[in-house]
Amino acid sequence: MKVVIGSDQAGFDLKEKVKQYLKDHNYEVLDVTTKAAADFVESSLLVTREVLDNGIKKAIMFDEYGVGSAMASNKVKGMVTANVNEERTAHMTAMHNGAKAIALGSGIVGEKLAYSIVQHYLDTDYAGGRHQIRLNMLEEMI
Amino acid sequence: MLDNDRPQPEFVDPKIDKHTVIALGNDHIVTAIKMAISDHLKDEGYRVIDEGTHDNTRTHYPMYGKRVAEDVADGRADLGIVLCGTGIGISTAADKNEGIRAAMVGDATQAEYARRELNANVIGFGGIVLGRDFIFDIVDSFLNARYAPTDDNRKLITKIDGIAKPNPDQKDNVHFFDEENKKWAEGVYHD
Repeated sequence: MKVVIGSDQAGFDLKEKVKQYLKDHNYEVLDVTTKAAADFVESSLLVTREVLDNGIKKAIMFDEYGVGSAMASNKVKGMVTANVNEERTAHMTAMHNGAKAIALGSGIVGEKLAYSIVQHYLDTDYAGGRHQIRLNMLEEMI
Repeated sequence: MLDNDRPQPEFVDPKIDKHTVIALGNDHIVTAIKMAISDHLKDEGYRVIDEGTHDNTRTHYPMYGKRVAEDVADGRADLGIVLCGTGIGISTAADKNEGIRAAMVGDATQAEYARRELNANVIGFGGIVLGRDFIFDIVDSFLNARYAPTDDNRKLITKIDGIAKPNPDQKDNVHFFDEENKKWAEGVYHD
């Protein structure tokens, strides 16, 4: 499975750790910020473009709080980014929202929790069914 | 839609009235905790516009995220609070509106940051994932924080506000989701 990752300066160290975790667990990793982006708007939009243009199913954005990457990338039509602090939300948002990316705050989430959140997100498929009407509604919005 | 057809702010005791209007929105999974938040806000002197949903019948979070966002964007409310099971769906829906910066948060630290640094005007969180008292802390941290402008955060906010192209067909259009709702009623969407 291919996972796209990207970060600003504040999220860079956590991004590098998660990148190693993903490689160790045999995921194909595309890092759109081998050098940290100028800010979380830039990094989250780089990830978003990769996801939407190439039909990528899973991506991870890193900044200090996670809030900004999700706020900025959800402004792109068709994007759904989930700012996640714990495993339950990571699992549910993959299943019910088909989250195309999660955002992790390096100042919020520690290393071990980050690995666990990422694994719960990657292990869960989108359920479709009744949830699709809500995603279609989101798709219609800006 | 006539102005007076819209939900109106609810009564607040004049002795504690903060003259601040909070729009609330939720899906059918979290109506009970939404009511607990509504009571909490009124106890603190906030005026509340409850945009629903008002019961436990299955519905779709984007409709309520959009209503809250428009209350804030149009000035009927000062700030918005949205919740669904995880908060992700409805906060994403709220964010996809002109003039809105919606922050999905999982704790009070992120809530305070969202207002202080990003001047967020809508906050979202999980009404099932999180417990009642922690939710009150998150809400209070958001409402009590103040935007502290800096050159850096002004630049970020301008960039965020410039990402989405406004859609005049979406804004304040109460029929925007009619097609999907019609298909839902016809049984097109099922598990």
